Amino acid sequence: MRALPPAPPPPGQSAKRVPHYLWVGLLLLGLLWALHSVSMPAGLENAVTLREAQASLPQHPQQPPQRVSLPHILDDQPAAWSGWVDYRLDWPAALHYDDPAQTRLALLLPRVGTRFRVLLNGHEIYQVGWYAAPERNILSAWFPYLVSLPPGLLQAQPQQNQIHIQVQGQLLERSGLWPLQIGYHGSLFERHQVLEVWQVKGTWMMLISSLLMGLLSLHLWRTLNERLFLLMAVAALAHSVRLALSVSLEPPLSFGWYFYLHRLAFTWYVGFFLLFVAELLAFRDRLVHGLAWFLIGVGPFWLAWTLHTQDYDLYRIWAGAMAVCGALSLLSLLFRSLQRGALESDQILVLLVASFTLATGVRDFLVVQLNFPGDADLRWTSLGSLALLFTLSWVLAQRATASTREVHRLNQSLAGILAKREAELRQAFDQLRASEQQRAIEGERRRLMRDMHDGLGSQLVQTLNMVRSQKHTLDAGSVESMIHHALEELRLMLDSLEPMEGDLATILGTFRQRIEPALVAAGIELDWQVQDVPALSSLDAQGVMHLFRCMQEIFANVVKHAQARRVCVRTRSDAAHVYLTVTDDGLGMQRPHTKPQAQRGLGNLRARAGKLGAQVRFFDAHPGTGIEFAFPIHRTFTPEAGDTVPSVE
Amino acid sequence: MAHNRRMPSSTRIYLIEDDRTVLQFVHHALALRPDWRLVGHSATYSHARIMAPNSLADVYLVDLGLPDGRGEDMLRLLSLTKPEAELLVFTVFGDESRLVHALQSGATGYVLKGCNDAELIEAIEQICAGGAPISPLLARLLLKQLRNNAPAQVADSVAAAPALSERESEVLKLVAQGYVNKEIASRLGIGTATVSTHIKNLYRKLAVHTRVQVVRAAQDRGLL
Repeated sequence: MRALPPAPPPPGQSAKRVPHYLWVGLLLLGLLWALHSVSMPAGLENAVTLREAQASLPQHPQQPPQRVSLPHILDDQPAAWSGWVDYRLDWPAALHYDDPAQTRLALLLPRVGTRFRVLLNGHEIYQVGWYAAPERNILSAWFPYLVSLPPGLLQAQPQQNQIHIQVQGQLLERSGLWPLQIGYHGSLFERHQVLEVWQVKGTWMMLISSLLMGLLSLHLWRTLNERLFLLMAVAALAHSVRLALSVSLEPPLSFGWYFYLHRLAFTWYVGFFLLFVAELLAFRDRLVHGLAWFLIGVGPFWLAWTLHTQDYDLYRIWAGAMAVCGALSLLSLLFRSLQRGALESDQILVLLVASFTLATGVRDFLVVQLNFPGDADLRWTSLGSLALLFTLSWVLAQRATASTREVHRLNQSLAGILAKREAELRQAFDQLRASEQQRAIEGERRRLMRDMHDGLGSQLVQTLNMVRSQKHTLDAGSVESMIHHALEELRLMLDSLEPMEGDLATILGTFRQRIEPALVAAGIELDWQVQDVPALSSLDAQGVMHLFRCMQEIFANVVKHAQARRVCVRTRSDAAHVYLTVTDDGLGMQRPHTKPQAQRGLGNLRARAGKLGAQVRFFDAHPGTGIEFAFPIHRTFTPEAGDTVPSVE
Repeated sequence: MAHNRRMPSSTRIYLIEDDRTVLQFVHHALALRPDWRLVGHSATYSHARIMAPNSLADVYLVDLGLPDGRGEDMLRLLSLTKPEAELLVFTVFGDESRLVHALQSGATGYVLKGCNDAELIEAIEQICAGGAPISPLLARLLLKQLRNNAPAQVADSVAAAPALSERESEVLKLVAQGYVNKEIASRLGIGTATVSTHIKNLYRKLAVHTRVQVVRAAQDRGLL
């Protein structure tokens, strides 16, 4: 996996523009103020907050009732309290009424659980999970409850009313009773709505955002293969698991599994989030990595141990450790960033929002876990996490955009390089082709020189020698004949260079023009039985010359030695071969004394046929001799396609 | 000696050739036919351009390799100014690829320079009698060229290539396979003279086609 460099500032961003982190900072301040105002209500009108109760244990009647202050957390009490606890509430003196039938009173329980019921004057008026089977996992503490007090059950004298809240606790879940409010229904209803929005609906919003963010990051990671997105995906999905479990009143898991998964999800969320921030800031900070991997690695064992011992203090320590790790990591990253120089605006933004989230987490830890002064009705971390998620979404979108821009730029760069390489390749290919052509030309030149040396040159030298040696008895006819032969030799060579494209019939026809006068002079009749046959790729200029030489040899033999009257030239073909046959009606192959010269000629014929890739066969023609060349058909082409046959220019 | 009906009693010959030995050879050969006359000779293109078109010659012997110009241009000029005259290309070798261009420029035949006196006289007699020399390779080149022209014929009906009749096509095909006129006549069941006529007609078509193209191109450029 690779990490992209930090995203460049978006084009058109002016240096004088107010940085986005300032705006976001102001927004966060506003959010803090809003949290503070809903968490610390300045005393509700027509309602009284109850901070004390008379607690007793119905299952242990010998245990005397005792006065307790709220919140009363069962985890902090001896083991006997972890069962069934009855809280008797004192009717506040400030709350009175004249006519019970006209009175609309209610109780607001911001946090109570994990199973509970409310009794008014001995009548049960509300319950959550009280009668559910013992193995069911009921978690009521995340939700605020508004319990109306039925007017018909109220006593005529307010002080005579008996309100009991009975709670069945669950160890490790901080069960118990928190400060609650009693008062007129209208006022408490509004307060309940506020709590519902911030606590429950806010959690659902965050769950959806977190899930979306996780899936989007996962998709981006698969597309861009950048580790940053994978870290974000794991963090966001872990957070989603935690939130989904939090807002479940009755999760489909045993309490043990619920506790383990819920706390582990939160631990991993913190751990992977720290890794993500370090990656985003492009730091390989050992401290941050060490702390993050400590949380991710040790968390599962610590939580398992906590579950095993059922000791809430262990979890409290762990929560503190997470807060400390987070704070240390963020401080370290901030310090390193400042050391490195100017921070980029996105990095400042992330640090700012992360600090805000950390602050909300620390606040919750102090108020909820350590019972510091403050309103534990609301958990600020939820809002902090939501702000962080939105910020990170924005930063990741920026990264993805930058990545796309980078890919586009790289594509353009690659296209340029490719075009350059193509041009080089084409040039190299052209050079190679030119070199090949040069080589072919050179080969052809050598062949022509050899042919001219052996044929025309030799003829001219003979003529010259004859003229020199017979100066006084020079026979003009002989000289003319020899020069004529030389000219014919030259014409034959030039004929071979004509573009005949392997057309055997035309090649033979051209040869016929050259040889026919000699046959006529010798009184030999030519029987021409040539027909079109498939073109032969072996008959290039050199091949044509070899064929001409073969035919010269054959006809010379016929004219000089065969005593023939008639020669037949025939062509035919089958699927695999083209056949050329020359037969005469002369003495035939049984001639008693075949001259060595003729033997040499036959050897030449075989050699040249071999160069043409043809098989040669001699046979008795009864009377006379026959010679057959069999040319293999390597490829066939029509005259229209003949242009594709390579030819020597 | 076979005299053609349209052959004048005295054949007038014009030689365009820079080699003086060839001139001597032609003089020598014409001794065999006292009734024929060499009415003119140009050793250069520039001389021939002025003199040859004004000559009353029936037969022009044209060398393709003139020192100051191309023989093909000379043929084109003569085919326009002397359409009835026979234009024989006088060449050392049967360079068929070049001969096709010569035919398109207006040549009606060719004679090899290496021939003897009698062969030269025979060639001139044959051409005047309506014959037309042709080699297998030349026939093949013509067949191929006319076949290649065929698509253009469809695309551009105005400048249509010469249409090759079925008989002409058969004749060309047999020539390309190496058959001589007599054998072709026998195979097709026609007279030997008819075979020559077909070939000659083909030459004329080829030249006329080229001439039409040249004139049209000249008109297009405003030269005519």
